[in-house]
Amino acid sequence: MTAPSLYNAVVKRPWLLKLLQPVANWYTNAAGYRQMGLRADDLISEENETVLKALRRLPPKESYDRVYRIRRATQLSLQHKILPRSEWTKPEEDVPYLTPILEQLAAEAKEREALDTMTVLKKH
Amino acid sequence: MICRPALTRGSQLALRRQGAAKLARRGFAAVASPKASYEPTTIGDVKVASRDDGGPTTRLAVVAKAGTRYEPLPGLTVGLEEFAFKNTQKRSALRITRETELLGGQLSSYHTREALVLQANFLREDLPYFVELLGEVLSQTRYTTHEYHEEVEDVIHAKQAKVDAAAVALDAAHSVAFHTGLGAPLYPTPSTPISSYLNEHSVAAFAEAAYSKSNIAVIADGASQAGLSKWIEPFFQAVPAQSPSPLNTAASKYYGGEQRIARLGGNSVVIAFPGAALGANQPEIAVLVGLLGGESTIKWSPGFSLLSKAAAAAPGASAKAINFAYSDAGLLAIQINGQAKAVRKAAEESVKALKSVAEGGVSKENLVKAIAKAKFNLLSASEASGTGLVLTGSSLIHGGQPLQVAESVKALEGVTADKLKTAAKTLLEGKASVAAVGDLHVLPFAEELGLRPSAAVDSRLAHHTVHIVILHLTHFPLSVCHGEGTITIGICVWSRDSELGGACRLFASRFLAPRKRAHPESRSHCETKSVNRPAPTAKMTFAWKAAGLTYNRYLAVAARVVRRSLKEDKRLAAERRGQQDLRFAKWSNGKQGEIKNLAEANAQAAVESAATGGTA
Repeated sequence: MTAPSLYNAVVKRPWLLKLLQPVANWYTNAAGYRQMGLRADDLISEENETVLKALRRLPPKESYDRVYRIRRATQLSLQHKILPRSEWTKPEEDVPYLTPILEQLAAEAKEREALDTMTVLKKH
Repeated sequence: MICRPALTRGSQLALRRQGAAKLARRGFAAVASPKASYEPTTIGDVKVASRDDGGPTTRLAVVAKAGTRYEPLPGLTVGLEEFAFKNTQKRSALRITRETELLGGQLSSYHTREALVLQANFLREDLPYFVELLGEVLSQTRYTTHEYHEEVEDVIHAKQAKVDAAAVALDAAHSVAFHTGLGAPLYPTPSTPISSYLNEHSVAAFAEAAYSKSNIAVIADGASQAGLSKWIEPFFQAVPAQSPSPLNTAASKYYGGEQRIARLGGNSVVIAFPGAALGANQPEIAVLVGLLGGESTIKWSPGFSLLSKAAAAAPGASAKAINFAYSDAGLLAIQINGQAKAVRKAAEESVKALKSVAEGGVSKENLVKAIAKAKFNLLSASEASGTGLVLTGSSLIHGGQPLQVAESVKALEGVTADKLKTAAKTLLEGKASVAAVGDLHVLPFAEELGLRPSAAVDSRLAHHTVHIVILHLTHFPLSVCHGEGTITIGICVWSRDSELGGACRLFASRFLAPRKRAHPESRSHCETKSVNRPAPTAKMTFAWKAAGLTYNRYLAVAARVVRRSLKEDKRLAAERRGQQDLRFAKWSNGKQGEIKNLAEANAQAAVESAATGGTA
């Protein structure tokens, strides 16, 4: 499931992107998940059918790494600790790995919905 | 309005006659326009065969050289079959299905041993849509990982679970008949390890190799030639002209043999012989299939066909004969399914029926019926949309011509009882491929059915005797033959069968005396030679040697085992021969010692060995 986002609108306007980029970076770091070695896509709630289906479509390596990151983060959370600075998630590592699959699923659902509700115009 | 009595009897009759005449005319019209054969052409480098009877529906199929015969790894053909009409670069599988439904079309994909068929049946006017779709499926399918796991894999597992005893038996018969290539199973059974070979990447690689213009043919039944030549070229442009990696197209070779598979639920016996290949000029095989038949063509009677009579004698079993025609080989199979005991009985009866044909027991009347049946089979197969499409496609992709119905029918009419007899005789004299699947306690062996399987070891031994006497060996320490510093041992191959003699010579020259050859004239010849024996090298590690046996003992044990595995009557004969024929002599210093009977010497050695607690 994808949340509504202004990302595309912002990216289309370079001046706005330039303006907002430092704010976004600050916000992301302040959110604190990178300090626990997580990626932004690890934070997507998985308690729904779509995300579960997307998780099943992950390649085995990605899936394993995701579970590792979440377990490590849980452990850190219990211990009230954060990772040493060298192990923080770097901005270039923080790539969306689940979002593309979610988008694909959303597109499939949308297509199915469209086909289910279409009106057929007969040629004859 | 005219009331009935107002019409005279004469006018009533006239009306009736008119109606009857109309019916008769209609009948003649139907006879006058039979479905023509497929006309082969090439449109934009794609081989196309089409015929058009002007009907409202069209069957369009792409036949690709991607059957199980050509799959480089097990299971790829079924993977490719299931991936047909899945997501492409242009549209999703869902859209393909829904659009086809809206147009009233049907999409299907299936495979034979040689061909993979993607077929679309649709209304005549929708030709462009479906030509585009088939072209797209060939060149732009995406082979995605999630579709493989979510849709393809499960379907394959479900279909695997449905593979029944009859299919397993046919696969087993093909496997012993052709080993690789055509011998690959049509559908892998649940116990076939395909998971390590089958994945979306291997399927995509196979698709790349198989879906090229040189490997496919487009067959259209009921489409206009103009429409095809207009649409095929643009929509098949993206299909590559040549495949980047050529398919494995080794020629088929017939081996023959026997295979038995224990299995729950269902019994099946397949008795197969080399049959007629696709396009081969062997009308007698087709007539033989008609004669053997199996499926009754009339109600409440087994009919004239030999197999249906055989099956009628064994209630609970059904038998039928099929000729599987492939591009470079054929397999004439008799398949018997049903309850184990009935299958056994029907199999015995079927072989008897075939033998009766070989002995010339075909009445003229039956021959006429068989030819008529063969004609019907041929015409019906070429007319029926499914079989005709696949047969034509298979011929085209293998560089042949579509079946010429008129000529084939003529050939069938020329079959005589003599030709049929010769054909049946050739089949029975050749190696059979026999597969039994089900309750093996009941199902018969090929030998019991009176057939010759290819593994002819036992039947050979029943007819021929191997007399082993002398062969010189310099590096085998044989306790019987130790001389003083000299060893002179010999084994001579003595056979009533020149072929077997040759085999023994080969054996002798390869394994026993690498440096010294056995005498080429092995028949009743004893050769001796005295050589200074070097110290035996300790490197030779034969199993018999490691077990502490002498070579003579080893031979004796091996021969005994072979003889004991023979059937009762043959075993007795063989043992009698063994007693009288095996002799040996010890040579020392160039002089022949006393000639002893080997059997007696062996018995003596066995007693001594048992007394000393030896292994023999």
